[in-house]
Amino acid sequence: MSEIIVDAKGVSRTFAMAAGPVHAVRDVTLQIRAGDHVAVRGPSGCGKSTLLHMLGCVDAPSSGTLLFDGHDVSTLSDSKRSALRLKRIGFIFQRFFLLPMLTAAENVELPLSEAGASRKDRQARTKELLDYVGLAARADHRPSQLSGGEMQRVAIARALANSPQLLLADEPTGELDEATGAQIAALLDRVNADGTALVIVTHDQALAGRARRVLTMRDGRIEREAAR
Amino acid sequence: MRALGFAWRSLVRQPARAILGVLGVAAVGALLFDMLLLSQGLLVSMRDLLDRSGWDIRVSAGELPGRGGRVPAATRTAERIITLPSVKSVLIVRLANARIESPSGSPIAATFEGVRGYARPGDRISHPWTVTRGRDAGGASETVIDSAIAKAANLQIGSLITLRASCIGDREALPPAQLRVVGIAEFPFRGTDEDAMAGSLDALKAACGGNVGDEADLLLVTSVSEATATAAAIRDAVPDLYAMTNDEVVGRLQQTGFSYFRQISAVLTTVTITFAVLLITVLLTVSVNQRLGEIAALRALGFSRSRVVADVLSESALIVGSGGLLSLPLGMLLASGLDRILKGMPGIPAELHFFVFEPTALAVHIGLLVATAILAALYPMRIVSSLPIAATLRDEVIG
Amino acid sequence: MPAVASAEAGSILISRQLAAERGLVVGSIVQLATDAAGARAREFRVAGIYEPTPDPARLGAVPREVRMHLPDLLEFTRSPDLPTGSEYISDINVALVDPADAVAFSRDVNARMPGVIARPSSEAAGSAGPFRVLERFHLAIAVVTIVAATVFLLALTIMLVDERRETVGILRLIGLPARRVLVQVLIEGVIVAGAGAVFGLVLAVLSESLINTFFQWRYDTALVFVRITRDVALTSAAIAVPLGASATVIASWALLRRSGLRLARR
Repeated sequence: MSEIIVDAKGVSRTFAMAAGPVHAVRDVTLQIRAGDHVAVRGPSGCGKSTLLHMLGCVDAPSSGTLLFDGHDVSTLSDSKRSALRLKRIGFIFQRFFLLPMLTAAENVELPLSEAGASRKDRQARTKELLDYVGLAARADHRPSQLSGGEMQRVAIARALANSPQLLLADEPTGELDEATGAQIAALLDRVNADGTALVIVTHDQALAGRARRVLTMRDGRIEREAAR
Repeated sequence: MRALGFAWRSLVRQPARAILGVLGVAAVGALLFDMLLLSQGLLVSMRDLLDRSGWDIRVSAGELPGRGGRVPAATRTAERIITLPSVKSVLIVRLANARIESPSGSPIAATFEGVRGYARPGDRISHPWTVTRGRDAGGASETVIDSAIAKAANLQIGSLITLRASCIGDREALPPAQLRVVGIAEFPFRGTDEDAMAGSLDALKAACGGNVGDEADLLLVTSVSEATATAAAIRDAVPDLYAMTNDEVVGRLQQTGFSYFRQISAVLTTVTITFAVLLITVLLTVSVNQRLGEIAALRALGFSRSRVVADVLSESALIVGSGGLLSLPLGMLLASGLDRILKGMPGIPAELHFFVFEPTALAVHIGLLVATAILAALYPMRIVSSLPIAATLRDEVIG
Repeated sequence: MPAVASAEAGSILISRQLAAERGLVVGSIVQLATDAAGARAREFRVAGIYEPTPDPARLGAVPREVRMHLPDLLEFTRSPDLPTGSEYISDINVALVDPADAVAFSRDVNARMPGVIARPSSEAAGSAGPFRVLERFHLAIAVVTIVAATVFLLALTIMLVDERRETVGILRLIGLPARRVLVQVLIEGVIVAGAGAVFGLVLAVLSESLINTFFQWRYDTALVFVRITRDVALTSAAIAVPLGASATVIASWALLRRSGLRLARR
């Protein structure tokens, strides 16, 4: 059995709103192991993204325990959580969130620079990643000069910069057409095959179908888990 | 990429807004710099002017030289003062209003300075004017004039100048007197709109009709060493008179006429900084609010809170730093213009300046700009530091 | 000062500042002399304490003033060797039945009495050189402030207009002409600039009382240092509102030069 990266037991997340509390995630128990390929599906507002944010230590559960690599996330300081995200977790977003004033290569270099890598190491790793995602020739292009699919590939390269154990993707093909989405799906498969655990939140049936575990959520709970 | 490099890239991403922000800081910074120059400028300039005159004590009948009447028995007083061991030289100064005949028919109004000096053997007596052409006036029929009179009355060195002078101040109908122009001089204590001429006390008395009494408007004294001790000795010797060192004169002026400029400088400095902080805060806040999604994404990727805060502070530092650098030459240019305006005040000596560059002003300027950059960044730094990552990411998708 | 009343003591008025400094009250008897040695000192009774008319030319100086009847002053200051009637005065203030006659009256006096200079008070005040210079100085400062504010305003409006780039792009895509969008922006700009101008004036009025209070305390004077007149308010609004509206229009115009598709695209 591969090692457990994330161990969530009875985690819930409640948001206090003016109209009353919103229980976005209720009592979820879940383990993500090294090399897992998990898809999380469900209708809008079922808590998929909220769960993803908690798994990625971006948000803290209101109750329950969430261990990342054996550490209770709720006891970690903000700087320690940031360090965790920087070195162990990668994020991909629906809106890409590439920095428009930086080139593709500079966007990929950002997490490496923040992690303190030397210039030589940063440049080597950036080249390696851009090759990996098939965009070596576009290294000096800015996001405005790239297509949607290319931007998402740069985002994937950026997310892999510090060789994370876990890659979290929130609707990675949400703004892409079917064909481009399929390319991204294939790339994510490859990332997973190369050893990185993958958790994808998606509406995309085809993307979800490629995962080995599919969690279906409704009303903040995991309604069903299917394994392939 | 370090915070400064990141901030630079963020700024050049929107060049129009960055340039305008920098120009705005430059304009405000120029005004701030000028107010700092103004706050001490007049005092520094006056002190410098007084020190350069070569005289370090002024003896007068009133609290401030030029006010409170004349020094009576001026000759006896000067002779008394020169005997003091700490006194090097004494100069009696008497002023008269002169009206000089000119070829155009309209007389030229001028101030006539008549002087008589007393010095120890071997010591020189300097006059409160500087001869630029010709020689200084010595005899009872000689005078030096300023270049404006020379031009207006078409006079050269060697010319005869015809004038009517009034030494008492009342309206007098005196016959014209003639003096020979032996030199052209600069009078640093005369205003830019005032014409001046000078000569010996005897020449002045002759021009005034002879019977003017033994009074002086002012006695100028040079000390052997320390002016304060010499001034104290003079006060002991002539207790009815006021003996003030240059520092004391400046100090007194600071309390009266000059204080307005210090006050206005303080008020405008405060207003300028407040203005700058508010405007840069708004610029940065709007900029940050437009990039919340990016910032949340960076935080999600592992950028620490301190890093994103440092990015905002660096942006503020770049805008204020660039604008601040530009504000220095702009400020000097503006200061020369403002100085020219203020020197139009009647009675301001030609060589007195309101805006004087001092290294301390520059240091204070830099300090204030640094404080401005930090203060202006406080609110946007707070926004990014307390940014809820998950909620922001969610809002970006919905938005 | 002796408190013994003298039957022959003339009466004087003294300034509030002098009274406070010397601890004098109405009824105090003081001795006045024309020289520091105290020669020919005479007694006077303090008949009243007055607030000196603030004199901007003497800002910072403490007004230690004494007022007495002219005959007393002339008698008091006349040199003993000069005969009575040889004294002179420096100024005569004249109040006319119709103040509008001041210029003509002055001209008349100047023509009839050579050696005397007559001029209307308004001219005397206006020819106060230092204050004209200060006016120019303040105007120069105001111009620099307006330039700086305009630059910042332009930067801010560019940013704020840019925030609505997508909305503007969509409006253009659905067929609204650029002019229509500009008119909309202009109306908004005028409203915002107008509101800003009103707010600025309110702030100025508040600052006016603060500044006056401070400087009046600082210099112990009743002089008014800042006054927001109707003209000042109107001039400020006349500068601020068009500047604000223009900045918005300029920023929007720069934006509208791009195609609607480019604007609407994220």
